[in-house]
Amino acid sequence: MNKYLPLFVVILNIALVVPGCNQKPAGSIDSPPPAGKETSGGRLFGVSFQTMNNPFFVELNAGLLEVIEAHGDRLVTLDAQFNSLKQKNDCSDLVLQGAAGIFLNPVNWEGITGTLVHAKQKGIPVVVVDAPVKDADLVLCQVASDNVEAGRLAARALNEVRPDAKVVILHQSVNKACIDRVDGFKEEMAKFPGMTLLDTQEGKGTTEGARPVMRDLLSRFPEVNAVFPINDPSALGAISAIESAGKLDQVTVVTVDGSKEAITAIRAGKMYSTSAQFPREIGRVSAQKLYEHLEGKPVEKDVKIPVKLITKENADAFETAPEPAA
Amino acid sequence: MNTAKRLIPLIGASIALMVLFRILVPGFLNPENLVDLVQQISVNAIIAFGMTFCILIGGIDLSVGAVLAVVGTTAVYVLGYGEAETQSLFRFFLAVGAGLTVAVLFGAFNGVCAARTKMPPFIITLATMMVARGAALRFNQGRPISIPAHETLFLGLGNGRIAGVLPVPVLIMLVILIISAVLLHRTRFGQHLYGIGGNREAARFTGIAVGRAEITVYILCALFTGIAGIIATSQLYSAEPASGAGFELNAIAAAVVGGTSFTGGIGSIPGTFIGAIIIGTLDKGLNQAGVHFSYQYILKGLVILAAVYFDVRRKR
Repeated sequence: MNKYLPLFVVILNIALVVPGCNQKPAGSIDSPPPAGKETSGGRLFGVSFQTMNNPFFVELNAGLLEVIEAHGDRLVTLDAQFNSLKQKNDCSDLVLQGAAGIFLNPVNWEGITGTLVHAKQKGIPVVVVDAPVKDADLVLCQVASDNVEAGRLAARALNEVRPDAKVVILHQSVNKACIDRVDGFKEEMAKFPGMTLLDTQEGKGTTEGARPVMRDLLSRFPEVNAVFPINDPSALGAISAIESAGKLDQVTVVTVDGSKEAITAIRAGKMYSTSAQFPREIGRVSAQKLYEHLEGKPVEKDVKIPVKLITKENADAFETAPEPAA
Repeated sequence: MNTAKRLIPLIGASIALMVLFRILVPGFLNPENLVDLVQQISVNAIIAFGMTFCILIGGIDLSVGAVLAVVGTTAVYVLGYGEAETQSLFRFFLAVGAGLTVAVLFGAFNGVCAARTKMPPFIITLATMMVARGAALRFNQGRPISIPAHETLFLGLGNGRIAGVLPVPVLIMLVILIISAVLLHRTRFGQHLYGIGGNREAARFTGIAVGRAEITVYILCALFTGIAGIIATSQLYSAEPASGAGFELNAIAAAVVGGTSFTGGIGSIPGTFIGAIIIGTLDKGLNQAGVHFSYQYILKGLVILAAVYFDVRRKR
């Protein structure tokens, strides 16, 4: 018996840890999914994120939790680690357990189709958060930032300080949210005849990806005086390239996200604006929509969460109390 | 029999886990949940069978995750080539065949390098992992490629159920389980592999064609990975060039938990199968018991550690 000791130690560990972080009883697999009008607490909800290695999703999760716990229900948060197959398995675990609803942030927008079909068969509503899925018909609704508006706000802000802007865009063209931002930016830009678009390049949406691209653009276009990197990380990369070229006072940076790092850059005068997203609000609204559906109310398919322009003027207020625009 | 005796504690551990999760999660042992469990482990188990062969002869194959991605992208590329409006049996077999051929080429390269040069398999397959990943990312600028909706045959490989009950991936896994088990435990080739893993030089002196056996092992491992890749691709309705990252580690974990020794010469296919079941049970059970994902990593780590500790003690 002695030589099997380690195995039993591990099993004992599981027996101790599992109930420790799970005081409420788990949802029963035998029971059918809760019926529509039920309002009593203790129901199980699940959320699967493409990654939890991103403050954006941690905030979004907090928003979900806020609403779900207020209803006396519980939420299981699962991390797919960018692995579509793991996400599929995680979701089928939730479906077979008869979860009252599932929130989904897909790794691969069509790779998740099988899961959506499965959930639909079992009558479990799915709310898609932040990134879209291909088969919108299979889900209850999709909740995301108003990315087109985020792009418009950036272009409008740029026009205020540089009506003669010669712009470059640092794109991340595989990402639907970023495509929307650039569409909004270009749409608004077309209204300001003084502005011209010099070039659009792939900045990969990361600091490391954007820095060398911006460096090249600065040497190719000496006249460039504005850049629209599609998110805060790539904006920080662009700023680092602009700084080392000694052109901080010549080039205006407008971007989208609203991270702490961006607020710091705005205060330091290195960035002009960021169109802030509200992940916690996305979480709250997603949970509210699911509850409305469970109460039998109709829910719109496409829910856009407003974004808000942050510049030096409102940076302090935003940092202490981030609230979306009305 | 020796192998059977080794399996007893493993079977005991998996039963204990299932009972534990049955207590924590009502209905954990429902038929539907159990079928789903076996279906979830099928991709990992198929790769792990191949990995067991590699580890058994003292080798390793780190390239499986990346090969899985390049197989999927190749197959779907062929499937969608020319944008046909309807599916055809010919195209289906061409796509699957192309995917498996790519896998076998990678396996043959790994095997020849391992057998004919002095480079360690860890480094060889680390390098081919990068090559395969890069090759997969060449397709469609690294974005997922959709499987056309009319390719029901291909989609059925991952999502279909035979008689509405038995998932196709499970059937494929069981077939490969039997083939691998027979090959390893009932043929001379299998005996040779144990010999090579136990003592490579001694095996050479007894007249075993060590190099040829080694090449065969790496080809088998890659072929199984290719089959797993076709299933995974079908399950995701698309080929993802970035998919499969970390799959090598899951397969190694299943083999090791199943009693395969990293020093070679010890291990069995049924053991690896139970190893995959234990890992799958942990994944599903911890999810359904609502355990925070941070604890899930810790617990899985402890299970692997315990299994290796157990493995080392046994050999003392």
